[in-house]
Amino acid sequence: MTSMFTRNEKGPETPPAPAPKPAERTEPAPAPQAAAEPVKRPLASAQPIAAATAQRGVSVISRALKITGQLESSEDIQIEGEVNGDVRAAMVRVGAGAKVNGTVSGEEVELSGTIEGKIEARKVVLTSSAHMEGDIMHQDIAIQSGAYIAGRLQPEYGKTNVQPLKAKAE
Amino acid sequence: MFAQTRKTADSLEQPPSHVGRGLKVTGVLDIDGDLFVDGTVTGRINANRVMLSPESFVDGDVVANEVHVEGRFNGRIFALSVTVESSANITGKIFHNTVSVARGARVDGRMPWRPPSYFETLTQLPETRP
Repeated sequence: MTSMFTRNEKGPETPPAPAPKPAERTEPAPAPQAAAEPVKRPLASAQPIAAATAQRGVSVISRALKITGQLESSEDIQIEGEVNGDVRAAMVRVGAGAKVNGTVSGEEVELSGTIEGKIEARKVVLTSSAHMEGDIMHQDIAIQSGAYIAGRLQPEYGKTNVQPLKAKAE
Repeated sequence: MFAQTRKTADSLEQPPSHVGRGLKVTGVLDIDGDLFVDGTVTGRINANRVMLSPESFVDGDVVANEVHVEGRFNGRIFALSVTVESSANITGKIFHNTVSVARGARVDGRMPWRPPSYFETLTQLPETRP
């Protein structure tokens, strides 16, 4: 029964990868994270999320988890459960079956589930199972056939104000 | 002992919930399963089992069957079984039925014992709310 709690036998952390990350993923996180807390590790890894889930920096909100409140991360978040509140991270994946009520912001947002609120991201991907109710502020967007969108698409991300999110979130 | 059968199906098909190191959560985390915390949580955690890693910082209440603390904690723990590791730094109260504290752990506060029945209706108890 305590098997899940024994993983620290492996040592507190995996050694950081020595090689630099590919260019497109090394862009700095939005300023609020950088200021929030010192993070020892470099920003989110370049691996796909399936491989990265085992890493300690990636956050997983599983299907059984429901969060009421704010999430802020300098790394990646994978949401399979329910979030009532704002999410901000380097990369946010909202899985099929997941639901977010609030603003999702980050460098990259991939939506397969439901968002009621807003997306504000440099790169936005809506898969065929995506259900989006609200506006999307983006710089680069991909929409697969079958995605549901009720809202405006605005290619304004990073244009008018580098930090439009912060003012609205607070 | 704690609804093991219920969880097995869940844990097979999806990874456990994980608050990663860079993540800061403000609010209520409600989960019918296990939760790993490497990051920062301000607020309340309701779960079956909670694992607070050495890098974690939790400020608030934790209500669970089992709690394993290795990091910094400030607030109250309500759990049948509490394990405090040597790297833990706890300020507050630990309501428990069984507790173990490793040598080297810093615990500042009280550790009231409660019978198992106390924990069954815990989510409704006004005492769990600050």
